[in-house]
Amino acid sequence: MKNNGNSTSVLVIGAGIAGIESSLLLANSGAKVYLVEKASYFGGNIIKWEEVFPNMECATCMIAPKQQELLQNENIELLTLSQVEDVQGSVGDFTAKVKKKARYVNLEACIGCNECFEPCPVEVDNEFEERLSKRKAIYIPCAGALPNAPVIDSANCLRFKGEDCQLCQEACMFEAIDYTQQDEEFELKVGAIVVATGFKPFDLTQTPQYGYKKLNNVYSIVEVERICASNGPTEGQIIMQNGETPKSVAIIHCVGREEKGYCSSVCCMASIKQAHFLKNKISGVKIAQLYSDLCIPGRIYQRFYEEVKESGVDFIRATVSEVTQQGAGVAIKYKTENSEENTLNVDMLILAPAIEPGVGSARLAEILGIPQDEHGFFSEKDPDLDSVDTSREGIFIAGCAQSPKDVPDTVAEAEATVGKILSLSR
Amino acid sequence: MAKKIGVYVCECGNNIADNVDIDRIIKTISPMRNIEVIEKHRLLCSEDGKEFLKQSISDHELTHLVVAACSPKQHEHTFMSVCVAAELNPYLFEMANIREQCAWVTPDKEEATDKAIRQIAAAIARVAYNEALEKKDIDVYPDVLVIGGGISGIRATQVLASPDRRVYLVEKSSSLGGKVKSFDKLFTKMESGSALIENELRSVEGNENVEVFTDSEVTQILGFFGNFEIKVVKKATDEERNFNVGAVVLATGFDVIDLKELPQYGYGKLEDVYTSLEFEEMNIPGGPTGGKILLKSGKPPGSVAIIHCVGREEKGYCSKVCCMYSLKFARMLKDKLPEAKVSQLYSDLCIPGKAYQKFYEETKGSGVEFIRADKTNVAQNGKGITLKYESETGSKGDLSVDMVILVPAMEPGNDTSRFAEMLGIAVDNEGFLAQEHQKLAPVASSVEGIFVVGCAQAPKNISESIVQSEAAAGKILSTLVPDRKLELEVKTSKISETFCTGCKTCISVCPYSAISFDDFRKISVVNEALCHGCGVCAAACPSGAASVRNFAFTQIYQEVEALLK
Amino acid sequence: MGDEFTPRIVGFLCNWCSYAGADLAGATKLNIPSSLSVIKVMCSGRVDPSLIFTAYLRGADGVLLAGCHPGDCHYREGNYYARRRFALLEKTMETLGLEPGRLMLAWVSASEGQRFGDVTNLFTEQIRQMGPNPLKSALL
Repeated sequence: MKNNGNSTSVLVIGAGIAGIESSLLLANSGAKVYLVEKASYFGGNIIKWEEVFPNMECATCMIAPKQQELLQNENIELLTLSQVEDVQGSVGDFTAKVKKKARYVNLEACIGCNECFEPCPVEVDNEFEERLSKRKAIYIPCAGALPNAPVIDSANCLRFKGEDCQLCQEACMFEAIDYTQQDEEFELKVGAIVVATGFKPFDLTQTPQYGYKKLNNVYSIVEVERICASNGPTEGQIIMQNGETPKSVAIIHCVGREEKGYCSSVCCMASIKQAHFLKNKISGVKIAQLYSDLCIPGRIYQRFYEEVKESGVDFIRATVSEVTQQGAGVAIKYKTENSEENTLNVDMLILAPAIEPGVGSARLAEILGIPQDEHGFFSEKDPDLDSVDTSREGIFIAGCAQSPKDVPDTVAEAEATVGKILSLSR
Repeated sequence: MAKKIGVYVCECGNNIADNVDIDRIIKTISPMRNIEVIEKHRLLCSEDGKEFLKQSISDHELTHLVVAACSPKQHEHTFMSVCVAAELNPYLFEMANIREQCAWVTPDKEEATDKAIRQIAAAIARVAYNEALEKKDIDVYPDVLVIGGGISGIRATQVLASPDRRVYLVEKSSSLGGKVKSFDKLFTKMESGSALIENELRSVEGNENVEVFTDSEVTQILGFFGNFEIKVVKKATDEERNFNVGAVVLATGFDVIDLKELPQYGYGKLEDVYTSLEFEEMNIPGGPTGGKILLKSGKPPGSVAIIHCVGREEKGYCSKVCCMYSLKFARMLKDKLPEAKVSQLYSDLCIPGKAYQKFYEETKGSGVEFIRADKTNVAQNGKGITLKYESETGSKGDLSVDMVILVPAMEPGNDTSRFAEMLGIAVDNEGFLAQEHQKLAPVASSVEGIFVVGCAQAPKNISESIVQSEAAAGKILSTLVPDRKLELEVKTSKISETFCTGCKTCISVCPYSAISFDDFRKISVVNEALCHGCGVCAAACPSGAASVRNFAFTQIYQEVEALLK
Repeated sequence: MGDEFTPRIVGFLCNWCSYAGADLAGATKLNIPSSLSVIKVMCSGRVDPSLIFTAYLRGADGVLLAGCHPGDCHYREGNYYARRRFALLEKTMETLGLEPGRLMLAWVSASEGQRFGDVTNLFTEQIRQMGPNPLKSALL
């Protein structure tokens, strides 16, 4: 989109893998990119995982070169703690109002030494770590998060609640902490917009029959991802709330599928990945997976499934009827295809939830003037022919914001938005 | 020319200053060879730190720079920019990591200081042997060759073609449109495939930036990203066309598994056992039956069975789209023959994504029977057909039908292996072309500049094929910009003509096929446009002829020696 | 042997994974023995045997070769070559009078700061037990 007769400029909303990929390709073509991310860090969901299927590649290692490239690319302006508030105009000439929350830390001065955390007297649950560990009111979500600078959570910070605490500022040798920082609002003039706001997991408390947050040692797969992470709350040690390593694990697929009314595409593979990881990490562990239909499409997923099955993981086609506490572990009552009823007793139960559009999608849809479908995903212009376009010319969608999908399909969509944008701006 | 090395030690506030004795570092390093100046600074990466550095480089007329500070992963590019600003070649610069790998991890200050001194001495010894590398770039052709005129090839062509970028679209058959042209209905909107193709072709046919070759084959692709030499031959006349392009998009589509290899399904033996492609053809309004669903006898079937996953076990993968188009078939059947009984035999239902489950539920709701069956046998039974099936739990069943539609596994189009060989792209066990990266580069093949999209890449539906075509276009539009040169990796490998013995070991280990053999001079030559600078060739070379710029044996040796003094 | 012996270990770390892992160990302020000195290479596949032997001949008590986990190599296969060379080197070292335990091959990913710490500590202790490089007195 030639903007004011000058070079193309694009607004990318969401700095997960889709947003990162679009931004890099656009910037390398010479376009100016404003990458708006609401969190204090970027990388989206993928940086929360230790390994990705099916090659069990280290996720952070895989993404790190792209993140470094992005931070060093002069054509990309990464705006963290930022959200889009308003969009006016049309293709080639959009005006977007962006609100940037104050970090209270000067990004130029901060060198990421982390000295300011220790003196902070406030401790709250760390959301990034799925509340499995604590963080301070001044914090970075995990070791290795980028940009490598903390943020002050003003809702929990004593100073912002009226007390005269400045312990973090006193600990900082670079005068990087600035309590006087204000939220900022600015206008961006862009030719096109890419929506890459990702997904969030289905709220497992809505399916209490599986025991999430009611019974002990029942976990969401997203919590288990953090437990497995070498930079996570347990440094990669597989230990449960009771401090023990499970000797038997069950993974239930499709939790929330009935409620949502669609198949989330990736959970079978994510569950198989989890089983593979745990089998290698915990010697002698018994793992069973309970599923209704195995969704493992494409050229390599079935091979991975077969390898994991061969390694001794039990795959049971079943409908779960009841989950109850049994000592420290749980008892799972299920019915197989031929109506046989069985019970499985395990130390640890992992639930694989459906995935939904990211937080704030409805509001964003309204701001952008683009429709959502009945599940809240952004609607494409045509599900067959134009699945990265929306009904509003110049606004594109990519990744799980559009529909649940795996990383390769997400990256393809991100690259497709670039194809569309660059071909329009001729 | 005398070397004048400037060494700057960053205090990093108190991060480094508190944990190493910087004064002792300076005192110990000062007398070393070629040191022109050694100073400390509070924070070199700050604006005034960078200004100080730039000024100091000029004032002391430094020929080389060493910065002892944080990890080069943090600020190597920052200080390289300072070098450029100070008119010092940025490759005559090294960093010593005395923060992350020294000050922050060594509790004993004396030990930390000793270690810092060693690492800085190593950087100094090394930088003296660095080469003043220059950025390289090459001219490229922005034009693109698209092989395959199906929906993927057509969409890629549309998105790429422009007045400053020509697209050559080569199709081996006599018309464009591929398989989709002969699908009467497409899921989920149940609209016409031929109409879709007709619409898509409007922006391709008559487009003056597109040259279409039908009844033609690509017989040669030589060269590398940005500079491919293409030869296209028209089959009937053997007419040759030669032209250059910057990138190639392989969109050669799919074929289905040969059903004659699966006799248990009765294909080719029993009448009225059809493949999905044959069933599609039957439904075309202008086709042999006028679009009516009829048995060989000319009567419409009273009952139809659709068998999923035919050949899945043999192939070892799920072809992704078949469950969905089987549901489509069920709807087409119910639509044209409302009284017919339709049964679907499947093992796992693959309906991922936000819209497909609804499509399935509505299809089921219209009276279609779903039977989970693992193994199915198809046999003649009088005038009709009997299916005998077994589920994974062992329970058996049978079903009598008039017509069977087999839903076969999908394979890459049969030209794929020919192109794989021509292009030097590895093929996996299932016949699919190797990708640059399984997760992060789905449409890029292992050879830079060659993209594989649509079903040639892996089985997928129309929507996904189109997205991949647009993705390949995105990658090409981003890198092959008309009138802009392509910047190459600077720290590439080079092979000394003098020392090369022509053993070709380097060629066999290069992950990027970046080295070729010069038959005339009998030596190996590195293509710098393809080289990524990993150094595997340098390590493998028995004569020391191969070496990586600024990662040569000499440079690394200097580090080893200095670290162990 | 004795408590005065401080091992001198040279580590060849690949730019993309193990060097980043070592940096992460730093960011999380782990304790890493200062006996390890680091040389950054782009890929573990760059490290040819002559570089490793040079290290021993210049007096290194131990050499650590660290790269990305198999399958994760930034350059696709470089670490596989490193692995093969390591296997060959182990066999050859004895002929030079060096115990194979003086060479260690470790896969450390960019997120494995703790692992880098563990590997360094383990290797340092191993070398401490083995004593100084037997070639040192002969050559230097």
